[in-house]
Amino acid sequence: MSIATGQATVMAGITRKRRGILSRIIAHRTDYLYVLPALIVMLVVIAFPIYYTIELSFFRTPPNLQMRDKIWTGFSNYSTVLNSSVFHEVTIQTIIWTLASTFFAFLLGLGAALALHREFVGRGLLRALLLIPYVISAVAASYVWKWLYHSDFGVIGALAVQLGITSEPINFLDNRQTVLASLIVVNIWKEFSFAMVMLMAGLQTVPDQLHRAAQVDGANTWDRFWHVTFPHLKGVSMVTILLLMVANFNSFIIPFVMTGGGPADASHIWITHIYQLAFGRQQWGVASAYAVILFIVMMAFGYFYVKALTRGDEDRAGG
Amino acid sequence: MAVISENVIRPVVKKPIDWWRWAGRAFLTFLLLFTVLPMAWMVLTSVKSQFAAMQYPPQWWPTEPTLNNYFKLLDPNSRVGSEFLRYFWNSFYVSLLTTILGVVVAVPAAYAFSRFRFPGRNFMFFAVLVRNMFPAVVFLMPLFLLMRWMGLINTHGSLILTYLTFGLPLSIWLLKGFYDNIPIQLEQAARIDGATRFQAFLLIVMPLSTPGIIATSIFSFIGAWNEYVYAYTFLSRDSQMTLPVGIQRFFTEFATDWPGLMAATFMMSVPVVVLFLVLQKYFVRALTEGAVKH
Repeated sequence: MSIATGQATVMAGITRKRRGILSRIIAHRTDYLYVLPALIVMLVVIAFPIYYTIELSFFRTPPNLQMRDKIWTGFSNYSTVLNSSVFHEVTIQTIIWTLASTFFAFLLGLGAALALHREFVGRGLLRALLLIPYVISAVAASYVWKWLYHSDFGVIGALAVQLGITSEPINFLDNRQTVLASLIVVNIWKEFSFAMVMLMAGLQTVPDQLHRAAQVDGANTWDRFWHVTFPHLKGVSMVTILLLMVANFNSFIIPFVMTGGGPADASHIWITHIYQLAFGRQQWGVASAYAVILFIVMMAFGYFYVKALTRGDEDRAGG
Repeated sequence: MAVISENVIRPVVKKPIDWWRWAGRAFLTFLLLFTVLPMAWMVLTSVKSQFAAMQYPPQWWPTEPTLNNYFKLLDPNSRVGSEFLRYFWNSFYVSLLTTILGVVVAVPAAYAFSRFRFPGRNFMFFAVLVRNMFPAVVFLMPLFLLMRWMGLINTHGSLILTYLTFGLPLSIWLLKGFYDNIPIQLEQAARIDGATRFQAFLLIVMPLSTPGIIATSIFSFIGAWNEYVYAYTFLSRDSQMTLPVGIQRFFTEFATDWPGLMAATFMMSVPVVVLFLVLQKYFVRALTEGAVKH
């Protein structure tokens, strides 16, 4: 940088040697003061809960959560979780929910981003309209879709009958076969435009010259997408897919508000099940053990997440 | 541009039908219907009487449209209306406070992450990011205990404190990007002119990062406005309820009033949709910043 900063650094180095640690921190490490408020908030609301969840997972705690009456139970909460049949069922549902939602949301988002990449009249308006589901509250979305799926007056069921697809309205949400898929549709509706926006931003980084060069070389639309556009989108796609997976894995509102996990646990995913164990059945220890297992799974996500993000940083520094 | 070069290169060949373009249009039409029809049905239902909504086969277009459902919600003298308006106000107040506090905390932190090199900087930065990965529900039990210990259960304080932490990681990450793009020379010039580091930050850097501050503010506001899980767990008093939870309570109370519920969900969506439409540019920027850089 400039000479002025170089001098300032040298001067700071000299004075630093003369003073004690505390005054040095006050005089020179004002940088910490900027981060301190954020740090305190995050510590109270993150570090503490993580510690507490781990502690709770080794105890049996009375329903009223009076902590002085808790009883040490070792790993029994963990074995309760891992051995329950509901856990296995819910795990499969969580995997289906997460993968299906992510796959279709990404696919629709990618299609929309590619189709919206060309300039045309009303493009901005269209993008805004497609983004509305993403910004409105999941509670509102849940009620709207609950009404659309309604077994007696639902418009989807009625439409299916009028078009001759089914003979009578399907009870989408009260049927073990259809409930999870019905919720996944709502989830895709809610979040595909997130992928769309991310990928649209990614598309802007694809150099136009490359496309034209490929065109001169006789590459068709598909070839140009696969060999020019797609490699450029790899980084963004990675981050988008990871964010979608994390968000879906952590979904709560749509299943909770629309079905509460029912019928007969058929639409429970990990998060809603943990909530039910804790605040529904007051099994605080078991729910905490469940949450700790979830933490461990999330750490794996986190590893890839940070890796994807820092790799992006290196690319940027290189380019 | 692409069109021009195409013509230059192959001027004689008759242009074939661009199937990809048509496929794109068809796909966008499908997506538009998929996105808009549910919302359209919400609005159409909200202007029906309860009798009209409960018909089979459904009345596709309301034969006798009425704004009664909305009048009911907005009438402070009716029971439904007074509850709805109170929830609405609570949501607004909590969201606004969360947003303001979020900016106050995130701005200096993001600035520090952008400008200073201090030990533990990277660790803290990613710790802040990783927060976003953990679901709200697993923090619920300990936070419920913590809030009870602090005496914040059934107060808006418990919500504001937790909402603050949702927004912070994203705000810090986003604002850091803005500060990275502001040339450090601007501050140095100010300091040579006699400004302290803090003055340089306040008078030079802050105004330049206004778009970033707007973007993060929209995000925290919308996030707080839509939040459900914590509000559902921390608040049990009717007078404190925010909209997402309150709407559910008053719906169960009036059992099957679907048109009323649709009117309420519409009203609940209005503030965020308006905010989003007006400040779209910043919103999209906030969404993509960090993942994509030009």
